[in-house]
Amino acid sequence: MAHWWEIQVRCPLALEDSVYWRFETVDGRGTVSQQQGENRLIRSYFPQAQFVPSELAELAEQIQADARRADIPTKPQIDWQLIPEEDWAHSWKSHWQPQPIGRFMVNPAWLSPPATEQIVLQLDPGSAFGTGAHATTQLCLEGLSLQPGVKGATLADIGCGSGILSIGAVLLGASQIHSVDVDPLAITATRRNSELNGLTEAQITVAQGSIEQLIKTLEQPVDGILCNILAEVIIQLIPQFNRITHPDSWGLLSGILGAQAANVTRVLVANGWQVTGSRSQAEWCCLAISRTVL
Amino acid sequence: MAKKVVALIKLAIPAGKANPAPPIGPALGQHGVNIMAFCKDYNARTAEKVGLIVPVEISVFEDRSFTFVLKTPPASVLIKKAAGIEKGSGEPRSVKVGSITRDQLREIAETKMPDLNANDVDAAMNIIAGTARNMGVTVAD
Repeated sequence: MAHWWEIQVRCPLALEDSVYWRFETVDGRGTVSQQQGENRLIRSYFPQAQFVPSELAELAEQIQADARRADIPTKPQIDWQLIPEEDWAHSWKSHWQPQPIGRFMVNPAWLSPPATEQIVLQLDPGSAFGTGAHATTQLCLEGLSLQPGVKGATLADIGCGSGILSIGAVLLGASQIHSVDVDPLAITATRRNSELNGLTEAQITVAQGSIEQLIKTLEQPVDGILCNILAEVIIQLIPQFNRITHPDSWGLLSGILGAQAANVTRVLVANGWQVTGSRSQAEWCCLAISRTVL
Repeated sequence: MAKKVVALIKLAIPAGKANPAPPIGPALGQHGVNIMAFCKDYNARTAEKVGLIVPVEISVFEDRSFTFVLKTPPASVLIKKAAGIEKGSGEPRSVKVGSITRDQLREIAETKMPDLNANDVDAAMNIIAGTARNMGVTVAD
């Protein structure tokens, strides 16, 4: 089995670019770095055949000299080890398995759809929040499974992430979802995952932005709102909910810590909404809401 | 969506050429991050910068999803460009390969400020000057 040298340098941030440079001089393929306490932990990788240990010691000495030349007061700590080559293109997939959530079976895109009576939701997980692995997403998908009035409804998905809730809603019979997210990566992910499930742009329209984008573009109010973000953001959005809904509209709000639910409820009530149900998992809760009939 | 970052990983890699080989594979694979999706998204976002090093900071969330932001190029790349040189010196103490002006040093420091833990531009300039010395590039007054 082939092996790689993994070289680790622990040093202050001020030396990071010099370390990158030093690796570049020996045909480095790039670096990965993370904060570790006060220092950066910088790693670079080289095929085993590229160096014998004495050459690595020489490289380490050059990095030490670089630190002295750059007036870095802390001596870098440099280590190296051999690591076995893996099939990195595929080994990460072992972290993902089909997952039953409410009426759905969330299935990683590379696996054949399992034989199940549940609704299979195909997902290429990862490139935006909403893989199904987090309690907030699970609560919202479960809530959607139980929510009356999804069939034939038009919905807004604010903070759509991977698109998992939008797709779930269409698979339950919703007629059209207007999905928005401030993260451009989420827009790509929602489109990609919609296609994976055979959905069309007429069923899920995706745009970058937040509720102001929906206010600007919606021609008709929506029947329901899906919003799995964070309580602080949801509280800022609530005063605008009435601008995209009608008096019979409903919503599912997730990403709310149990301790924050009372505060979110207060803001909802002040803006003409009521909480009609609450589900919780670990420290998170999901609120089912509806417009207050005046 | 509800995002709690469990790992913040910075990669300094060539634009448009991300692939699952090291350093990306070992860095992201251990967190269960969808490496192919990352490579596809990074390459798409940096396609117009092929030939440059475009660092990226990846936030990995609790549900193993990720997002990323592109960062400023390494100082060595900016220094080489300012000095008009292709390569730095492997022996910076004895072999000088070029020079940059103080204005260029300041400009690089200002570009790099968001990614340096420096209190002000002067501190950032000191850090960049250190990198320049390590490349065999002098700063002309």
